[in-house]
Amino acid sequence: MELIINLLINGLATGMLIFLLAAGLTLIFGLMDVLNFAHGGLFAWGAFSGVWFYGLTNSFTIAIIGAIVTGIVLGFITEKLIITPVYGNHIQQILITLGFMIVLSEMLKVVFGPNQIAAKTPPLLSGSWELGEVIIIKYRLFIIIVGFVIFGIFQFILKRTKIGLIVRAGVMNKEMVQALGINIKQVFLYVFMVGAALAALGGVLMAPYSGVIYAEMGMEFAILAFIVVVIGGMGSFPGSLLAAILVGLAGSFMAYYVPALSLAVNMMLMAIVLIFRPQGLFTVKG
Amino acid sequence: MKSKFQVNNGVLLVLVAALAVFPFVSDSRTWTILLTQIFIFSILAMSYDILLGYTGIVSFGHAMFFGMGAYTTAIMLNKFEASLGVFFFSIAIGMIIAGIISFLVGLLTLRLKSHFFAMLTLAVSGLFLVLAEKWRTLTHGNDGFTFRAPELFKDRVMFYLLVLICLVLVYFFLRRFVSSPLGRVLIAVRENEQRTKSLGYKTLHYKVIASVVAGIVASLAGSLYAVSLRFVNTSVLTMDITLDALLMTIIGGVGTLIGPIIGAGVIELAQHYLSGLAKEHPIFERWIIFFGIIYILAVIFFPRGIVGTIRYAFWKRKNKDVSVVLNTSKVKEVAK
Amino acid sequence: MSSLLKVENVHTHIGQYHILQGVSFEAKAGEVSVLLGRNGAGKTTTLKTIMGLTPATSGAITFEDEAITKNPTHRIASNGIGYVPEDQGIFGALTVEENLKVAMRKDDDSAKERQEYVLNLFPDLKKYWKKDGGHLSGGQKQMLSMARAFVNESKLLLIDEPSKGLAPVVIEKVMEAINEMKKQTTIILVEQNFIMASRIGDTYTLIDDGETVQSGQMSDLVQNEELKRKYLGIG
Repeated sequence: MELIINLLINGLATGMLIFLLAAGLTLIFGLMDVLNFAHGGLFAWGAFSGVWFYGLTNSFTIAIIGAIVTGIVLGFITEKLIITPVYGNHIQQILITLGFMIVLSEMLKVVFGPNQIAAKTPPLLSGSWELGEVIIIKYRLFIIIVGFVIFGIFQFILKRTKIGLIVRAGVMNKEMVQALGINIKQVFLYVFMVGAALAALGGVLMAPYSGVIYAEMGMEFAILAFIVVVIGGMGSFPGSLLAAILVGLAGSFMAYYVPALSLAVNMMLMAIVLIFRPQGLFTVKG
Repeated sequence: MKSKFQVNNGVLLVLVAALAVFPFVSDSRTWTILLTQIFIFSILAMSYDILLGYTGIVSFGHAMFFGMGAYTTAIMLNKFEASLGVFFFSIAIGMIIAGIISFLVGLLTLRLKSHFFAMLTLAVSGLFLVLAEKWRTLTHGNDGFTFRAPELFKDRVMFYLLVLICLVLVYFFLRRFVSSPLGRVLIAVRENEQRTKSLGYKTLHYKVIASVVAGIVASLAGSLYAVSLRFVNTSVLTMDITLDALLMTIIGGVGTLIGPIIGAGVIELAQHYLSGLAKEHPIFERWIIFFGIIYILAVIFFPRGIVGTIRYAFWKRKNKDVSVVLNTSKVKEVAK
Repeated sequence: MSSLLKVENVHTHIGQYHILQGVSFEAKAGEVSVLLGRNGAGKTTTLKTIMGLTPATSGAITFEDEAITKNPTHRIASNGIGYVPEDQGIFGALTVEENLKVAMRKDDDSAKERQEYVLNLFPDLKKYWKKDGGHLSGGQKQMLSMARAFVNESKLLLIDEPSKGLAPVVIEKVMEAINEMKKQTTIILVEQNFIMASRIGDTYTLIDDGETVQSGQMSDLVQNEELKRKYLGIG
């Protein structure tokens, strides 16, 4: 029983981190048909800048804020420099965002050095609680709570505010949104920056969880996030949460019971979804 | 009209002859090895050009076919004897495996839109990487293994010549392929898939054929690569290999075949020199940054690459007063 | 009367295709101008070109004496042009209320009054206030789409085939609503149903193969059997 609970908590925590990455990806895709292959780079930059800020100030709050600001700035640069010039051309878009991914992760090595860096858990969040037989690691619970809070906030924004309505309407029919007098490119820039901030937040939260950070973690997590976006349905915000939890749990249980298959399972899941239900499990358009 | 765009066969012949005698004139081991490497990656990049340049497909999983060739040859040379017979046989087996896998993967994935296809190829090649890492009895995982190459290739020059022959054969084969009626349909698919479909072509079939041809050729490159190192590990299946092919094709010029060869030369040489400069300044250890930036700029400003840009300049000078809607005429040609 | 919108020799390419090959007409303030022509003649593209959704490659579009040919869609819309597309463009997962809310550019008392006024034109919408747009019937979607285009006091409404696929009773309601909106605004209407078009149209423009063939008063066209036979296949 305690094993199952621990695996559940692990899976949920990983799922939440993937969710933070996938949430931006799915909205960016839904709104503008842009699949950002550089999204993992923003995640890795969040992790590195966060750890750097933490080392500097010893405050995890500042680390998180620093990472988010880094994400927003990089998001702005990415949208203006990389996405806008090739807007509407899918092939160029795929090629260029992948190229930017390389630049982002190589820049990490230039700025922070090529080796992996150890990341500490802030004292307040380290340690664990023992509830009878079950040991709950505080930091993992923290990630899960943050994930749900973020989901709640964004769900509120998407459902209850004007800008949220516009984003959802844009995902469904962007031509019509423009024809109603809304500058969708402006909206898209904001969504892109917010998506980048979420990715960076995911990165900084990831750092103490895995203990070490390295430049390639961006691409590794991005692949998981792609899988989640496909399974959850491109453009579906709740879909990305459910799919992320699914992928997180599948990963944690498989890693324990059938370690050889842990990564393969997710990829096969995505392949099956893409082949038989390419619109994903949750549809938004149409 | 076409012959003016194509690189003159005579010039090519002279170039090939010069390259063939090169190792006998110069005794620089470094250069022989470097050129061998360039030839191998030229083959890989040309195979990628069939997908990206001629059919308009972005695959992020091309490394898997390269890796299949590399592993097939390495494992067979290791398990059986290191003879020429086994070597050529392993190349054939590698090609067959790559052909079958690319056929199956293509059939399942090529009906998807470009984004999904790119993602799915990324995932499938990721699966093969995981497979190679876990199947340690066969692959020795990430550590890899060394093996003995056929006696003949102890002489670097002999291997150099073999690779050069392969490069020339592949170049002419692919040139034939893209100028065949089948190749014209591929170009039509790239220009406007919907329209080609409405002309009655089963575009999926043609895309699958393109991916099979590209997979087979990539597997050949992998086989040669493994023998050139006499070592193989999972790095042959990583994204880096796909990225190399991508960079070479884009920078050299998509849809030109000769472009990827030049791209391979430029990148391998630059890599060689830039990593040499690392002693001067550590930024050169990250030489790939420069390529990343050049590549991004190329995608935005020179989507035709080196060869494409030069050809276009010539073409424009010759056709100053003719405004041709290239795409439409091409599709119409195909339709006839 | 002065012309509110002027389209002069507009050409539009979509991809490789040359769709509009010289469209010209005027919409005078307070009138209903109807675009007529066969299927695929370029009527829908004309509306989309005015909206900037398929921008013109050459020619000029002037709205209130200002050139809007090159303007992005959102600016054209906020200048006061409302658009009701052929497929109605309803946001399926948003409720009727939210569909209107996305469109409303102001959020003050006058906007609320305006919303009330528009809802009185389409009383059915109040009944389905909290229903998802995707679950409405074809006629209700048409009403919602028109309400949404009208809720910002648009000076010009572009309405694409409002009667398409609707039952005769529903068409009657839609026509009533258009007649009511006509009192407040100028309308450009694309309509296949000639009887309907002739009932509400003041002027007509005939488009064939992407080109304007003729424009004039609707009353003249009704009597011109030859023109109707040649370009509309009726009479």
